[in-house]
Amino acid sequence: METPNEILTELLGIAPDLSRHGISRVPYAVPDGFFEGFAENLMNRIHKEAAEFSEPQTGQQNAEVSSLLEISDISPLLAGLKNKNTYQVPEGYFENLKPIIPELETYPVTIKSKQAPVFSLKFIKYAVAACIVALLGTAIFNQTYHKNTDPIKDLTLVSDQDMANYLDADDIHWTPGISASSVATDYNENDIHDLLSSVPDDELEQYSTLLPEEKRNVN
Amino acid sequence: MAEQTTDTELLALFREPATKEKAFTDIIKKYQERLYWHIRRMLVDHEDSNDTMQNVFIRVWNALAGFREDAQLYTWLYRIATNECLTFIEQQKKRASVSFNELESGLSNKIRADKDFDANKLEWKLQLAIQQLPEKQRVVFMLRYYDEMPYEEMSRVLETSAGALKASYHHAAKKIEDFILNH
Repeated sequence: METPNEILTELLGIAPDLSRHGISRVPYAVPDGFFEGFAENLMNRIHKEAAEFSEPQTGQQNAEVSSLLEISDISPLLAGLKNKNTYQVPEGYFENLKPIIPELETYPVTIKSKQAPVFSLKFIKYAVAACIVALLGTAIFNQTYHKNTDPIKDLTLVSDQDMANYLDADDIHWTPGISASSVATDYNENDIHDLLSSVPDDELEQYSTLLPEEKRNVN
Repeated sequence: MAEQTTDTELLALFREPATKEKAFTDIIKKYQERLYWHIRRMLVDHEDSNDTMQNVFIRVWNALAGFREDAQLYTWLYRIATNECLTFIEQQKKRASVSFNELESGLSNKIRADKDFDANKLEWKLQLAIQQLPEKQRVVFMLRYYDEMPYEEMSRVLETSAGALKASYHHAAKKIEDFILNH
């Protein structure tokens, strides 16, 4: 624990002028006999307040006193404004109000019970939202899936037999950019024989079995 | 007699119904002057200081039975007194709807209005200089300068670290010295 000498030494280091003799004397005057009577005066006050508090009062009075003390502590300004009414009331307002109240008793109020709907509005909202999300999701999925598919690659998954069956079933003759008639004029019988001579016989036989009856004879 | 009885003994007597009032009166007599001057240096005016000190001891009367003795009694009393002073200053500000600076100059005016005021005397200049400080710094300076309170005790009174209090005191002392030398 610091000693007074240490505290004085500290002060001499910071502000030596503040350690000058006499400067620390507080120059305020105190009324004569103040300290001699203070304790007794204070105990009298404590007894008085205790007696006032313990007097039989209505609960309402006690509540009023304590709430007034509370607001006085927080804001004396508000405590002063507490009982000041700023609004005006038309003359005879409260007198005229009374006869209305008995009339209300002749008309009993019935409360109609409301039946809750089978499907609450909230449920319908969630269902609609879910449908919209599903539709959007499906559309996005389809678009993404089809975009990323490679038709050429997918063709390799189809067998030759299936491809031939498809072509024959629909009698589809694939023609390139040139017309069939131009092909016919470009190739004569000798040219066809020359082309076919390079194809092995067993392949030709295999191919001919795939053709319809009328197309099997090759001259 | 109050000076010779230790705080522990006084507290024990206070807790007995038969000796409660006597013990409390002894506590008042033991600490009233120290607390009064602490309050008076903060509030300047005697009547304000008297009212505040009464409020302090009424709080002590109501709360002393539950005092845990984990701190010195006088530390606890100083804490209550300091809080009451700061509360009083706040209420004064609200009542008058003035800023702190306007209130502070009001306290300086009260000092100047004192019948014994002498602007040439250092002790009056010191009181004026103290009023220039912010509230908390003012408390720190006065507890250290006048009451010679160690930083460790002060930290329990003001619930601030000793290091922060030391820095605050150093600044306050320099400011006050500058004020005195320049006025």
